[in-house]
Amino acid sequence: MKDEFLNQINTYLPSVDYCSFRFVSKYTNILSVTRNVLEPIEIIEDEGLMVTVIHDGGFGYGATSDLTRQGILRATEEAKKWANFSKGHLIHQPIPPINAVDNGKYFTKEKDGWARESNKDKVDYLMEINKALKAKSAISNWGASFRYNKVETLFTDTNGSKFRQNISYILPQLVACAEYKKQIQTRTYGGHAHARQIGYDFLKDSDLISRASIIASDAIELSMAENCPDKKCNVIIAPDQMILQIHESIGHPLELDRILGDERNYAGSSFVNLDMFGDYQYGSDKLNISFNPNQESELATYNFDDDGTEAVKQFLIKDGKLIRPIGSYYSAQRADQDFVACSRATSWNRPPIDRMGNINMEPGNSTFEQMVSSIEDGVLLETNNSWSIDDYRNKFQFGCEKGTVIKNGELKGLVKNPNYRGITKEFWHNLDLVGDESSFSILGTANCGKGEPNQTIFVGHATPSCLFKNIDIFGGES
Amino acid sequence: MREYFEKITKELFKNISSNEILIVNFDAEESTFVRLNKAKIRQAGNVKQISVTLSLSNKEKRNLKSSLRLNGNVDRDISTLIKALNYLKRELPDLPKDPYLMYANSVHSTSVSETKSSIDDSEILDYIIMSAKGLDLVGIYSSGYIYTGFANSLGQINWHSNFSFSFDYSIYNKNNNAIKLNYSSKTWDRSKYDLILNNGLKKLEILSNPSKNINTGHYTVYLEPSALNEIIDMMSWGGFSYKSNKIGTSPLHLLNKKERSLNKSVCIDENIKDGLSPNFNTDGFIKPDNIKMITNGEFTESLTSPRSSIEYSVVHNASSPHEYPCSIDMKEGTIGSEKILSTINNGIYISNLWYLNFSDRNNGRITGLTRFGCFLIENGKLTSPINTMRFDDSVYSMLGPNLIGLTTRRDLLIDSGTYEERSTASARLPGAIINDFKMTL
Repeated sequence: MKDEFLNQINTYLPSVDYCSFRFVSKYTNILSVTRNVLEPIEIIEDEGLMVTVIHDGGFGYGATSDLTRQGILRATEEAKKWANFSKGHLIHQPIPPINAVDNGKYFTKEKDGWARESNKDKVDYLMEINKALKAKSAISNWGASFRYNKVETLFTDTNGSKFRQNISYILPQLVACAEYKKQIQTRTYGGHAHARQIGYDFLKDSDLISRASIIASDAIELSMAENCPDKKCNVIIAPDQMILQIHESIGHPLELDRILGDERNYAGSSFVNLDMFGDYQYGSDKLNISFNPNQESELATYNFDDDGTEAVKQFLIKDGKLIRPIGSYYSAQRADQDFVACSRATSWNRPPIDRMGNINMEPGNSTFEQMVSSIEDGVLLETNNSWSIDDYRNKFQFGCEKGTVIKNGELKGLVKNPNYRGITKEFWHNLDLVGDESSFSILGTANCGKGEPNQTIFVGHATPSCLFKNIDIFGGES
Repeated sequence: MREYFEKITKELFKNISSNEILIVNFDAEESTFVRLNKAKIRQAGNVKQISVTLSLSNKEKRNLKSSLRLNGNVDRDISTLIKALNYLKRELPDLPKDPYLMYANSVHSTSVSETKSSIDDSEILDYIIMSAKGLDLVGIYSSGYIYTGFANSLGQINWHSNFSFSFDYSIYNKNNNAIKLNYSSKTWDRSKYDLILNNGLKKLEILSNPSKNINTGHYTVYLEPSALNEIIDMMSWGGFSYKSNKIGTSPLHLLNKKERSLNKSVCIDENIKDGLSPNFNTDGFIKPDNIKMITNGEFTESLTSPRSSIEYSVVHNASSPHEYPCSIDMKEGTIGSEKILSTINNGIYISNLWYLNFSDRNNGRITGLTRFGCFLIENGKLTSPINTMRFDDSVYSMLGPNLIGLTTRRDLLIDSGTYEERSTASARLPGAIINDFKMTL
C-alpha cells in the first residue's frame, strides 16, 4: 500500500533541477488518568506532504494535507513559485545531492505493539499506578499518562531516491505532589526524559507501580526537607539531568544553522564559531560526545534524515576537543564543514532544519559508588524541572526535582529546590569523572523547540552519571 | 472554508443517535512563511492544512476524541470522518465514565468572518528585502488566513476566520548586538513598517558603543512591555488556572490563597473582546468579554474550565481545558515615556528578556536572561549596551514592593508563535520600572 503510494506520487515529480516529495503520517495516542479519573482519550492522526523544489538558483517549498493528485500538484506549483521568487535572493544556493537512496528502510523494533493492548487494559494499568501514587494521604496531586507516537516517512526525489522509515516511541509520565506548610514538592518519572523507540513491553517491564511508590515517597520527604544549601561544591549529576545539560550546553551550541545565524531572531546563536572546529578544547579530556543515530531503541535512531542523508555515528567532541558541528548536508555546504544526518522536520508542514538526533555522552570508567565515595561534601542532582540558558549558550541555570546530600562519601538526606548555575566552558572543564556502562541510560525528550516557523521534535540522549567539581548550587526561598 | 465546514458537520450529525452527542472542532490555515537571514531568503514556502477533532460522548458520560488531518475535499473527507466516528462508537462502551464531562447544551451560535485580504506577499517581501539592503536582518514573515470552527449535534455552530500577517525580525550590528522588532497587522502600511524599522535603526546606533560587563547585584531597571510580557507569560504557566491553584502547582498559589500580594497598581485581565482569539472554547461555551484575574494587586478570578467547574463544584468562565490566558490586558500606570530615564537615573534599560523558567515555583521565583537591546542608564541617559546578564527574582518582589511604577504607554504584542499552527494569542501591557532587580550571573 505504502509502496504503491510512493510509486504513484513519484509520477507527479516535476521537471525541475531537483524536487523531493516527503510524505509524513503521524499517529498519536494519549491516555491520562489524573487523580483516579480518566481524562478524555486523545487520538490524533496527521498526514500530509511537503514538496521541495530547487530550480534555476531558487529554492521553495509547498506543503499540503490535500493528498489528492490535484492537491499535490498545487503544492508543487507553490514550491515552484517560491523557488522562482527566491532566485537571486537566497542566502545560499543549495546544491542537491547526486547520489540516490535505493529503497532504504528503517522500522522501530516493537516487541509488543501498542495497538495489541486494548484501551481498557491501558486504562486499568494507569488506574493501578494512580493507586500507588496516592497510597499516602500527604499526596496532594497525582496522575499518570502514556503517550504513543508513530511517525512514518516516505521520501522520493528526482534523483530516483526512495526510502521509508517508521519510527514509533512511547513516553510514560508519572507525577506526585506533596504539600507541607503550603509548600508543594513535585516528583515525576518519565516526562522530559524517558521516551524510547520501543514497544508496549517497555511499559510492562518498567515496573511503574514501584516507581510510583518511590516518587510519591520522595515528594513527601522533599516537602519536609531543608532547601538545598547555597555554596560551591562537587556534584554528581544523574542521567535524567545530564541529558538536559548535554542538550542545552553541547547540542544546541553545536547546531550549524545557529552558528550561521539562522536562529538569531528566535532560538538564538552560539558562542561556537567555525574556526573552533578541530582545535577548541570544549571540556576536560573526559568529555566524549557522539552524534549516534544507530543506538538501538534511542529516540532519534534512524537510517536517513529528512533530506535523505544516510545516518552514521560521528564524534562531535573527542577527549574534550571539538571535532565537528551538528550540520546537515545543505548547511555544511554553506560553511565548508563535515556533515551529519541531522536535517529533520517536525512533520510534513515544516521544512527540515539542523537538529540534534541522538547526542550521547560516551561512558567512562567510574562506578556510581566510586563517584559518591570520592566526595566529602556535595550533592547528587536528579530529574530536571527547570532550564534556562542565554542565546549564545554560555550562562545557564538549571533546577532539579531532587537533591541528595553527600557527606564523607555517603548519600545522606534529601534537600529541596536544588538549582545550579554556571558558564558552559568552565562547567565542562570541571568534568572530573564519567560513569561507566552500569549507569549509562538511554533517554530522550519529545519536545525540543526551535525554528521559524516553530517546530518541536524528539531527540535522544544517552549518558551515564557524571561528577563535576566546584559547581555553584543553591536552593529556593527560605 | 465555512461552507466546507458546514457540509462535513451536517453529514456527521446524520450519523449520531439520540443517545450520543458529537462535538466537532475545526482548525485550518493557509500560511506563507518566508525566513530571512542577513536580509536574504533562507527558506520560503506555503502551508495549507485542515484538521478536525471529533469528540463523541453518550448519555452515560463516556467520552472519546479523535483528531484527523483532512484533504479539503468534502466527499473524501466525509468518508474519512465517518470511519473515525464509527471507531469512536465501537470503543466508547468499554471506557469508564467521565465524571467531569461537560459541554454546552444551550445553543449559542456566533460568527466572525473577515473579508478577503488585499495583501500581496511577493510585493511586501520585495519591499522588505529592498529596504533591508545592507542590513544584517534576520527573522520570519508569515501571513494568511486562520479558521476556527465549532459545531455540535445539538445545533450550535460557531465560526471565526481571521487574516493577519506578522514580520518578526531583528537587526544586528557588527558587534553582534541586536534590536528586536515586529510589525503585525491585518493590512500592510508601508509608512508604519518604515517607522518601526527606522526607530529600530536609531536604537541600533546606541548599541554600536562598546558593550559593558556589569557586576551581579541589585539594579533599578526599566522593562519594556515585551520584557514585562515574558514575566507575565511565566506567571501564566498555571498561575491563573483554577485547577493549578487548587492543587498547589500554580506559581501564584500563595497570591491566590491571600498569603502574598502584589503592588496595588497591578491589574491583569483576560480581555477576550479586544483580543484576536475566538470567543468560544472547544466545548462550545461562549467566553465572557473580560475576566478580572488580578485587581489592585490581589487575585480576584481564576480561569476556570468546564471540567474544573464539575471537579470543584464552582462556576466556570468558559476557559480552555488548560486554563491558560490568550489575551492578557494589563492596566497602564502613570509614568510617561519621557519620564522613564529620569525616574531611573542610573540603572538598566531592558528591551527583552529571554528563556525564563522557575527557580522556585512555589514562591513565584523566576530566572531568565537579558536579550536584544539592553542598555546602561547613566545620569538619566542611555549610554552603552550591556553584555548578557541573568536575573533571578520573585514576582512578589518585582511586581510587589519593588515596583516603582508602570508606564502610561501600552503596547499590543501579537504572539508570533507558529508551533503546529499560527498563534492567535496577544497581550496588551505597559512597561515597568522595578527597583532592586536581582542580577545573579
